[in-house]
Amino acid sequence: MAKEDVESGLTWEVRANSRHYHKHKQKRSFLCFRWGRYVDNVVRSYKYSPLTFLPLTLFEQFQRAANIYYLLMVVMQCIPAISSIPWYTNTIPLLIVLSVRGLKDLANDLARRRSDSQINSRPCDVLISQSFSTAQWKDLCVGDVLRIHKDQIIPADVLLLCSSEPHSLCYVETADIDGETNLKYRQALAATHDELTSEPSEESLAAFDGVVLCEEPNNRLYSFRGQLHWRGQSLLLDNEHILLRGTVLRNTEIAYGMAIYTGADSKILRNSGKLRVKTTQTEKILNRAVIVIVLFLLIAALLLAIGCGVFASAVLTRIEVLSALLVDGNSIYTAFLTFWGYVILLSPAMPMSLYISFDVVHMVHSLFIGWDIEMHWEQTDCPAQARNTSLNEELGQVGYLLSDKTGTLTQNRLLFRQCCIAGEIYGDASISAEETEPMDLSWNPFSCGGLFMSAPRLVERLREQQCPDSRQFFTALALCHTVMAEWRKEAPVYQAASPDEEALVGAARELGWVFLSRRRECITVSELGVTRQYQLLALLDFTSKRRRMSVLVREPEGRLKLYSKGADIVILERLQRDCPYQESTESALELFAQACLRTLCVAVRSVPEVLWEQWSKTLAHSATMTTCDRDILLEELYDVMERDLQLLGVTAIEDRLQDGIPETIAMLRQAGLKVWVLTGDKKETAVNIGYSCKLLDPDTRLLEWQELRQILQSPDPGVSFFKARQTELWAVDRETAGEKTAVVLTGPELAEFAERPEWATTFMGLARHCQSVLCCRVTPGQKADIVTLVRKHTSSVTMAIGDGANDVNMIKTAHIGVGLAGVEGGQAVQNADFSLAQFRFLQRLLLVHGRWSYHRIAFFLRYYLYKTCGFALVHIWFGFFNGFSAQSLYENWFIALYTTFYTALPVQCMAIFEQDVRAEGSLRWPELYKVGQRQELFNPLVLSATLMYAVYTSLVLFFIPLGVFYNSALDYQTMAVTVGMAAVFSANIEVVLLTRYWTKFNIAAVCVSVLMYFICTRITHSPRLFQNSPADYFFPGVSDKAFVDPVVWLTALLTAWTAVLPSFTVYALNIILTSHDKHKVHSTSHQPVVLKSTKFNRGNSARRSSYAVSQGHGTGRLITSATSIRSTAPPVDEKVTTSKDLTDSQGQIHIKENNNGPSYEKLNGTSKQMNHDR
Amino acid sequence: MVKEEPEFVNRPDNTAFTQQRLPAWQPMLSAGIVIPGFVLIGLAFIGIGIALFVTSQNIQVLEKDYTGVELNSPCYKCSDSNVKNCECKLDFSLDKLFEGPVFFYYGLSNYFQNYRRYGVSRDDDQLSGDLANFKEPSEDCTPYQYDSNNSPIVPCGSVANSKFNDTFELYQIVNGAKKLVPFDGKGIAWWTDYNVKFRNPDVVPLRNAFNGTVKPIFWSRPAYELDPSDPANNGFVNQDFLVWMRRAALPDFRKLYRRITEGDYATGLPAGNYSLEIAYNYPVLSFDGRKKVVFSNVSWMGGKNQFLGIAYLVIGSMCVVMSMVMLIVYAKFKFPEDE
Repeated sequence: MAKEDVESGLTWEVRANSRHYHKHKQKRSFLCFRWGRYVDNVVRSYKYSPLTFLPLTLFEQFQRAANIYYLLMVVMQCIPAISSIPWYTNTIPLLIVLSVRGLKDLANDLARRRSDSQINSRPCDVLISQSFSTAQWKDLCVGDVLRIHKDQIIPADVLLLCSSEPHSLCYVETADIDGETNLKYRQALAATHDELTSEPSEESLAAFDGVVLCEEPNNRLYSFRGQLHWRGQSLLLDNEHILLRGTVLRNTEIAYGMAIYTGADSKILRNSGKLRVKTTQTEKILNRAVIVIVLFLLIAALLLAIGCGVFASAVLTRIEVLSALLVDGNSIYTAFLTFWGYVILLSPAMPMSLYISFDVVHMVHSLFIGWDIEMHWEQTDCPAQARNTSLNEELGQVGYLLSDKTGTLTQNRLLFRQCCIAGEIYGDASISAEETEPMDLSWNPFSCGGLFMSAPRLVERLREQQCPDSRQFFTALALCHTVMAEWRKEAPVYQAASPDEEALVGAARELGWVFLSRRRECITVSELGVTRQYQLLALLDFTSKRRRMSVLVREPEGRLKLYSKGADIVILERLQRDCPYQESTESALELFAQACLRTLCVAVRSVPEVLWEQWSKTLAHSATMTTCDRDILLEELYDVMERDLQLLGVTAIEDRLQDGIPETIAMLRQAGLKVWVLTGDKKETAVNIGYSCKLLDPDTRLLEWQELRQILQSPDPGVSFFKARQTELWAVDRETAGEKTAVVLTGPELAEFAERPEWATTFMGLARHCQSVLCCRVTPGQKADIVTLVRKHTSSVTMAIGDGANDVNMIKTAHIGVGLAGVEGGQAVQNADFSLAQFRFLQRLLLVHGRWSYHRIAFFLRYYLYKTCGFALVHIWFGFFNGFSAQSLYENWFIALYTTFYTALPVQCMAIFEQDVRAEGSLRWPELYKVGQRQELFNPLVLSATLMYAVYTSLVLFFIPLGVFYNSALDYQTMAVTVGMAAVFSANIEVVLLTRYWTKFNIAAVCVSVLMYFICTRITHSPRLFQNSPADYFFPGVSDKAFVDPVVWLTALLTAWTAVLPSFTVYALNIILTSHDKHKVHSTSHQPVVLKSTKFNRGNSARRSSYAVSQGHGTGRLITSATSIRSTAPPVDEKVTTSKDLTDSQGQIHIKENNNGPSYEKLNGTSKQMNHDR
Repeated sequence: MVKEEPEFVNRPDNTAFTQQRLPAWQPMLSAGIVIPGFVLIGLAFIGIGIALFVTSQNIQVLEKDYTGVELNSPCYKCSDSNVKNCECKLDFSLDKLFEGPVFFYYGLSNYFQNYRRYGVSRDDDQLSGDLANFKEPSEDCTPYQYDSNNSPIVPCGSVANSKFNDTFELYQIVNGAKKLVPFDGKGIAWWTDYNVKFRNPDVVPLRNAFNGTVKPIFWSRPAYELDPSDPANNGFVNQDFLVWMRRAALPDFRKLYRRITEGDYATGLPAGNYSLEIAYNYPVLSFDGRKKVVFSNVSWMGGKNQFLGIAYLVIGSMCVVMSMVMLIVYAKFKFPEDE
């Protein structure tokens, strides 16, 4: 048998209740050696252990080219023969850089450890020697039998053995895994259910000794293959018997299961991808720049060294006093040493303080994000958080936003907002749910709120019993569903597999049609206080293909009625001929679609007794058939029954969006971001949300797989794409053709891209022109694949945003991952770079913080490289005048302090406080964001211009003082001070030019820096320090003399001004040329971003009728087979009291109704007019 | 309805700093400010330039090369390095009064006093009078640390070793008779140099401190006998030595030798014939070096420096030109042609 299993791929063996067996084989590791088979249930997302921290962090840090370079510098400076500046100028900064980075990584790692241990120490009940005891998740082992309580998160991939519900059914919420909102049911094998449910369950469970053979751990969320060998039987297992880690048990008191895959083997963790170290585009460019600069410096040093060799052999030998200085009398060796001397001397061009300051700036920007009160959500008291502090500038460059849907765009709350009964519309969806005037439903004892619809007229009609259609409509809502009612505190609590149904049944309850209970063959409904029992004859279940469901009931009066609800197209084509109100209902459907409401048509049919008899016979016959044939027959049978329907009305449900979603998406689109939605949910829902959150315009055409496939297959996809679009839209313009198109794909279709890489390329080419792409039914792994696809084929920065465990992989894969806080577990947040409380805070995060960060950091880096290169390259030019001897033109202390004390503060302040446009302006002109997407402020071109400018500055810094000092009595040390002074002046003037936002700190920083130069120079030139250590402070008294010398001042001033003249000119020209735009941005009051009032094209009707039931089967089968029906009937005496209350309240209402009379007339009139207008 | 302000633990502080709303000055410069600004700066530079230029023009400079490269040069005979203790005479005449105080410099060109290994070849501890370093000069001084007999060289190092050793005497020819022009050699070095940086050891007499040491190889006299006329001007605080030890920035430089501030010449050198007697010792021809003497008077800005004034004028004019260009650009931009 074992052999067979190997062949069939079922090689993973799990034995129930045999800890010692599995423990023995547990996976262990030491250093890089690993052995064993079963991993434990511990999540390890951390990187370091106390032993490995130091080597690992050093290894990581020395992967940076710059750090290696600095290490080289430090080593060389310790060699006296070549050391041209003292050792401490580089060693201390390097130590600071390494330790700061290391500590930051350590802190991040500790945070990960903390969150890991939080997850690992969650409680769960494990069966140990005949009784359940509370253990922690981390103690869980493969083969353990678990007890899971209601609303608990399932700790591992578990085989469901039995549950407290009938037939060992249980419900799980998988929103965290696949984003679907409806509950899914799982059912234990009949064998285990029968044997293990006997009381006390502990005993029988402890005796359970089944062996599961199944697939090796994998990342396929929707499939599972395995066998349970127990008591000589071999039972097939599939996905329906498995509870996945991360799902939540709902509507089920207790479920018992056996752990099959634990920890890293569980399907969700297999899907979660690897933790990657993220570096920003800017940093990549900077790294390249560093390499270029270092190469340039090395080449310069080499050339200078060659110059030194030539000079040594040609000139030096002839100067008696100098020739003795040749090292060992060998000019080549001298040149060799000089090379290293120059390498060291030029190294301040790439200072380490750049990296320190860069980190500080990042850190402060991250703090600003956390400090932003406007990104603090009061409802959960949750501020924004930058968990990765080194990606800030990338927030200003995002080109693609890949968003999850459930929980991210939507609140996962469905509200019954409008309905259309007999052609008349009730309720108004244009008023937001919160502002809807609550109706007085006090007459209804079952009312418990939650109806956001204001339609007093409807209530009147219902209660006056004058409108049979509306009564039928609500009867349909109360009967045609698969909801279970549970009695809690004398009120029915509905438990639905789909939130849509819950909303519909709930709405019916609020309006007086209360679904009380369900038994296998009857449904009890209280209609305006009158309890009626309907006999349930048949339930024609929902499937994604049928897109409708029906119930066939016998009324208490004995008539047979078929109530149907379903997608509009399906229902409308099944109506009887000349159905009244069809036209007005259709226009209502369009109106609802325009308001982005999910619609369902409700219809009824009176079924003749004869038909039913005939039909039921065939149905009974079908039960004996094989599954395959039966499905076909049932399809036909259902079709026969669901005919000649009479339209009752339309329900309109709002899939509640998170606050401010449409505004945010509109703004982001204006800012040039492409927003894609990746969801595990089904297509209809995703498209509906796409429209309602203004991601798609009403006239946007959807490009689905069939068509896309044709385009991709065509020889010239681009042309055929535009052709197809143009003919459809009558658009001549290429751009509009693309802009008005959105691609809708599903998971299986995406899988084809993996097989045909060339399609992926073409697809991305097309997608770039499209308004958006919606990917539905995608697994977490596929979400990450899409991110990878975008990363691979565009140079844009991608950002992924999500809230659940299913988004973890894409969050890790994208350049920037954003997690929405608040969801239980917080997996997404744990792995995210930034966490937000609400999607709408993205606009502030991107358009304000991101844009600022990008501006600040771009200018910061450019300025930093400018000032350091400008200052260090002077040595190249000086080399020509000192025999290429690696003589420094500055005092050692000046070199050490220049980058830190004399010039660092102002640029630091600029990088922290700079605001080219205030926050309000950034939000008012989202277009400003495009600067970052196009990388306009920091790209190789700009950077090389900066470096050229630095070269120019260094030339000026050297040659103007040269002219002054040439053939004069002024000595070297005075020249050193003069050039130094000029360098400090020009660097500070330059930063003054860059700063556009002068806070008190900026002003202080500039003043302090310049003052610092004078103070520190005076100090390091003080005689007292010289006396203590002549070798370190060998400039005594120079500044005393130089600072009172007018020539020094005039030279420094002229040099500094000449050095910054180009930048001044550019600045001035900029002002002259762009003054108009700038003023506009700063001063004009512009309308805030307004959502374009969507004009609805009658021609392209885009009705969106849908229903949030999973792609698979509905739960109808369970209901009709009564597997899940508990006795949920309300106690009889209570019923009596409730009906009493009802009559009382009815009396009160009557009085009220009189008052409402005229307004009702008026309302009715306007509504009619509205209908007419359309 | 009483609305209670709920307490938020995690609510960020609402301060100007954390909310990035610090009051700030955002200079909104316009063409109306920038262009006149440029003109003003340009004019200011031109002003400074003119002042510098005029000042520089008023400074009298007399420069004489005495390297002796040319055959007709009076020092030609000395340019042969085999000739020892060579003396030559440089005659010149002044047409008008050379206003005082007159500074007398010697100048060297193509001389790399800023060569790094040359510059570091000194022992600052020794030069500040540390006797321990008399016995064992610092490594830095190599190859002028010890002589061939392994005796420590004091002062060690190549800077000291290469001290300029030409000497000059200036005579005015009055009616055929030579009249010595008195040189003032006091205070030609920096005050910090002879009070802080360079100190003789506290040994009396000074020569005892130099026991067991040898003079630098190129020197004719030991450090403690540099100036026989003034005992205080010996050792490391000898003014000429100090001037030499203060390295020049560039290969062409001049160093102050003496000032002419005394007696009849306090107001300057009167018109007439002069003769400069030079003790020609310092070899420069081997590396194409040049030696010269310079008489110059000084202004507030020091010696003659035309470069600075011209540079100011150039940059200032550039600014003005630039502002003109900007004005044209602005005009074109603001009033396009087709309007």
